[in-house]
Amino acid sequence: MDSGGSEVILSIKDVCKSFPGVKALDKVSIDVKRAMVHGIVGENGAGKSTLMKILSGVYEKDSGTVVFDGQQIEHTTPQQSMQRGLAIIYQELNLVNTMSVGENVLLGRFREMKGMRGTHARARELLDRIGSKIGTTRLVSELSVSEKQMVEIAKALSFESKLIIMDEPSSSLTAEEMGELVKIIRQLKDQGISIIYISHKLDEIFEFCDNVSVMRDGRVIDTKPKSEYTRNELIMQMVGREIENEYPERPQRVGEVLMEVHSINTRKLHDVSFSLRKGEILGFVGLVGAGRTEIVRALFGADKVRGHQVSIEGKPTPIRNPRDAIGAGFGFIPEDRKLQGLVLPFSVESNISMASFRKFTRLGFIRKSVEKEIGTRQVKALSVKTPSTKVPVVNLSGGNQQKCIVGRWLEISPSILIMDEPTKGIDVGAKYEIYMLMKEIAERGGAIILISSELPEVLNMSNRVLTVFEGRITGEFDPKVTSADKIMSAALGFDGACS
Amino acid sequence: MTAQGTNSAIRVGASILRDYLVLVMIAALVALTALIEPKFLSPENLTNIMFQFGPLMMVALGTTFVIIGGFIDLSIAGTINLVAVVTISLIQPMGQVPALLTGLAIGTVCGALNSVLILSSGALTQAEALFMTFGLSTVYSAIALLYSHGSTMHFWDITASKSVFQAIGSGSLGFLSWSFVIFLISLAALWVFQEMTAEGRAVRLTGGNKTAARLAGVRISRSIVVIYAIGGFMAALGAIVLFSRVTTASPVIGVGYETNAILAVVVGGTTLKGGKGSVLRTVMGVLLVVLMSNCLNLLGVSTYLQVVAEGAILTFAIWLDNRKHM
Amino acid sequence: MNGTGKGATLYKILTKQKALIAILVMLIGMLFSHSNFYSAFNLLQMLSSTSILLILAFGVTLTIIAGGCDLSIGGIMVVAGIVSIKLMNAGMPMGLAIFFAVLFGTVVGFVNGFLAVHQKTEPFIITLGIGLLLTGVAQQLTNAHPVPAQNPNFMMIGNGYFHGVPNLVIIMLVLFALTYWLMRYTEFGRNLYAIGGDYEVARYSGIDVITTKWLAFVISGTMAALAGVLLSSELNTGSAVYGETTALVVNCGVVVGGTSFAGGIGGIPQSALGLLVFGLLSNSMNMLNISSYFQIMLQGAVIVAIIWMDSYAQKRRREAV
Repeated sequence: MDSGGSEVILSIKDVCKSFPGVKALDKVSIDVKRAMVHGIVGENGAGKSTLMKILSGVYEKDSGTVVFDGQQIEHTTPQQSMQRGLAIIYQELNLVNTMSVGENVLLGRFREMKGMRGTHARARELLDRIGSKIGTTRLVSELSVSEKQMVEIAKALSFESKLIIMDEPSSSLTAEEMGELVKIIRQLKDQGISIIYISHKLDEIFEFCDNVSVMRDGRVIDTKPKSEYTRNELIMQMVGREIENEYPERPQRVGEVLMEVHSINTRKLHDVSFSLRKGEILGFVGLVGAGRTEIVRALFGADKVRGHQVSIEGKPTPIRNPRDAIGAGFGFIPEDRKLQGLVLPFSVESNISMASFRKFTRLGFIRKSVEKEIGTRQVKALSVKTPSTKVPVVNLSGGNQQKCIVGRWLEISPSILIMDEPTKGIDVGAKYEIYMLMKEIAERGGAIILISSELPEVLNMSNRVLTVFEGRITGEFDPKVTSADKIMSAALGFDGACS
Repeated sequence: MTAQGTNSAIRVGASILRDYLVLVMIAALVALTALIEPKFLSPENLTNIMFQFGPLMMVALGTTFVIIGGFIDLSIAGTINLVAVVTISLIQPMGQVPALLTGLAIGTVCGALNSVLILSSGALTQAEALFMTFGLSTVYSAIALLYSHGSTMHFWDITASKSVFQAIGSGSLGFLSWSFVIFLISLAALWVFQEMTAEGRAVRLTGGNKTAARLAGVRISRSIVVIYAIGGFMAALGAIVLFSRVTTASPVIGVGYETNAILAVVVGGTTLKGGKGSVLRTVMGVLLVVLMSNCLNLLGVSTYLQVVAEGAILTFAIWLDNRKHM
Repeated sequence: MNGTGKGATLYKILTKQKALIAILVMLIGMLFSHSNFYSAFNLLQMLSSTSILLILAFGVTLTIIAGGCDLSIGGIMVVAGIVSIKLMNAGMPMGLAIFFAVLFGTVVGFVNGFLAVHQKTEPFIITLGIGLLLTGVAQQLTNAHPVPAQNPNFMMIGNGYFHGVPNLVIIMLVLFALTYWLMRYTEFGRNLYAIGGDYEVARYSGIDVITTKWLAFVISGTMAALAGVLLSSELNTGSAVYGETTALVVNCGVVVGGTSFAGGIGGIPQSALGLLVFGLLSNSMNMLNISSYFQIMLQGAVIVAIIWMDSYAQKRRREAV
């Protein structure tokens, strides 16, 4: 299965993990060798982060075995995992912003380091080992993302780690910073440390990984030395499945321009402008943190952004808050349905009717019968599985909860519906239902702005795709015509659009 | 199967007990006191209880909405102080009814001022609201002290005629005291607001999930102003009932009302986390607090120990509330 | 003033050192007043009377840095003071009475920690409830009449001088040094910063977040009790008078000094500065013969202003993220 000879430091065999309604890992088996860089590729939802969280002790596996450095691992905690020599550097960095670099590297080990001086001295040592010049007394909040990653690597090294897992480390790095990271990875490898490198970026995988595993839908498709892979083969294994029946046909009747937005400028965004046509699904592709959600939030008035112009059907329409946006015909399905979309203890019908006050109130008074009608109507139209419209929405499954939010907006027939990660954490059946819905909305003359980290979803559903990188729009593509790879490149900042 | 059945029966029973803990406690306390001290059920005592309802009930009803909206209001004590001394001083120059209306207006403004501070600073947590409203309470109390020069004004020094305030204080409509009638009207109005108006629903949504509410187009800023304005209005109403009854207005007349009101609301079952609760539950909570103090009085327990008991029950109720919603 | 460069750095310093600025403003202002403010007697007196509040602040700072707060300190303070006097009046030797009074604070701190950390109840409201309870206890124990101490030596602690410096100030300085050392040079203190900075990160890094944060409350309670004993000694009576206000004033004073309710930042010296603002404010107002009603109003207004600014600053931080 892999290049023979060297010893295996981590052996994962038939590991399974399920969450309510979703099978995240299905008999995953991977062997990682000592002093090797093992790449793991796969899209969102492939199961990579679930696997890493099991390794680091955040989650418990349902079944299967994990053997690290000769020891079988069961019921472990993050701390134990680190002490054993398995360190993980998450995408969402695990640092205390209000404390110094030195203290973060040796967090919780003040006494062991014999105080502040010892802490900073050891931190200095570790940072020097990876060639970083960051001052140990600087506050983490002042550092750039790449500097923070260095601090995390130093932290991993402080435990004499034998295996370091890096989860999408380069997602927010410039090319230059990436070069530094590559040097460090090679240094670590020379020091006998194994690295698991999780990434979307095929160029990196091919540059410095030794072995590569491809994951898809909770399974490992294959594990081979990089030399035995071609680029196309990798992409196909990542993305390839029965695409035909997974997504409906794209909306066919794209009409004239419905909305235009000019020059959104914020701390993160730079001169974002684009247009939206009637009957189209416009997809935004980009890495986590590229600015996609910021763009739609600025558009919807959810964030205080000034200085940009929005016009709808040619008429300038100032949008300063969500109410203005809704009045102008927008709807917004936020990224995190539990924290931003639903009022969990409230009933299904209350959650659905939330945006429709005008419909079910008259002269300031609520008409409960109308509210019930609204709830029942949407539950029926969207096939929401619930015993009644009066149950608390928290009792419903993720997919059905999401449908309630969709129903909330459908009730007021928005002309522009923004959907941010609409199918996150939803089972396949419900996903298809939501896709059909999106198509219906578009075909009735509405328009949809779709943000999704699942590349196939965005590419298959959208009529048009805009790529976002570091707060800028770097390209506009027709996914029917352009290859996924080319679109991804633009989303990663290549093609000379910007460095 | 039967083991599972008993298990779930216990769980259901426990949750019912938790939800209606207040009722159970009231019943237990009443039963206990009636047994030990038969005076409890005498008509004088029952009338006494009915009279004690007034001020605390008004204030607690107002506080209910602040808590349902996800905030907290400690400025009530100061508001009561201020409204009491100002209203009573205005009776002569302005006349009774205008003075009364002015008092209510002042209370409403005092309450709304809290929301102005909260909204302008972008504070969204209860902790921040706690400190700001407390600070305002001190300011209001100080203004009351300055305005009255620290002295207590006696109602009968001001007017000897039959007055609105006398009616509120001790008059009755049939067999119900006027203050009880005011209570019923307020309760009805507030209940209607809570259950049947759009703004009442908006308040609930704000308390349930501010972010989601805002993104769905609910005007949470307006809701925040509304809850504090209602709180202030009801505090003013409570102040008026209070000084009508004791016929004196001292600049420290409102001391302790804010914590008693919160106690009544929490003990009644409205959660501090916001989004859920009802003025009806607050009525039960006030009933418990009043009954408790009545029973403890009859049983000869000192006033100070009663404060201890209130603190203990408040702490216990908060802890219980937290566990329920974890 | 341009966006970067000297203007911006000055602004940054100003906002970070609001306590220092406030103190300087008041000190300069008092130069122009025709009062005895700048007499050695008054300055020492001011320091002495603020010492009690400072001791309270040192303890509370630990809980705020850890991301919570402690509003029961007023209640602990009065009960501890009363307990110490009552025990002495009943014949117990002074040392032992003081010990039990302080132990009382430790126990309450333990209960606070249990409710706020182990049971995960909101610290600000649960400690408020406990404080309320204790105020009632204090009133009950004293029957609302101050209880005079019968042991003549007791008074010497709070009112005596040691080589010209008031005992209170010396004790306060010792506690200052102790808590400063605790927060800056021990693992316990550094872990508190981590817990307040990011609870989950601290937990993942293997820090025993529950025990550490719990201890912060225990220490806060103990120091509040100590402050109470000293206060009773100073007044030579056990009184139930101070209570809720003290707790809120001290917590706010800590925030003014630069410790935010968000947790993770600040420290003992900062808290000291913050409390000095309040101490200075109250002393200057007395010197200027401002009526006590105005003083109360000003104190309330200052509390509102401080929290408002802290919230506003947090809002900007949130938006920046």
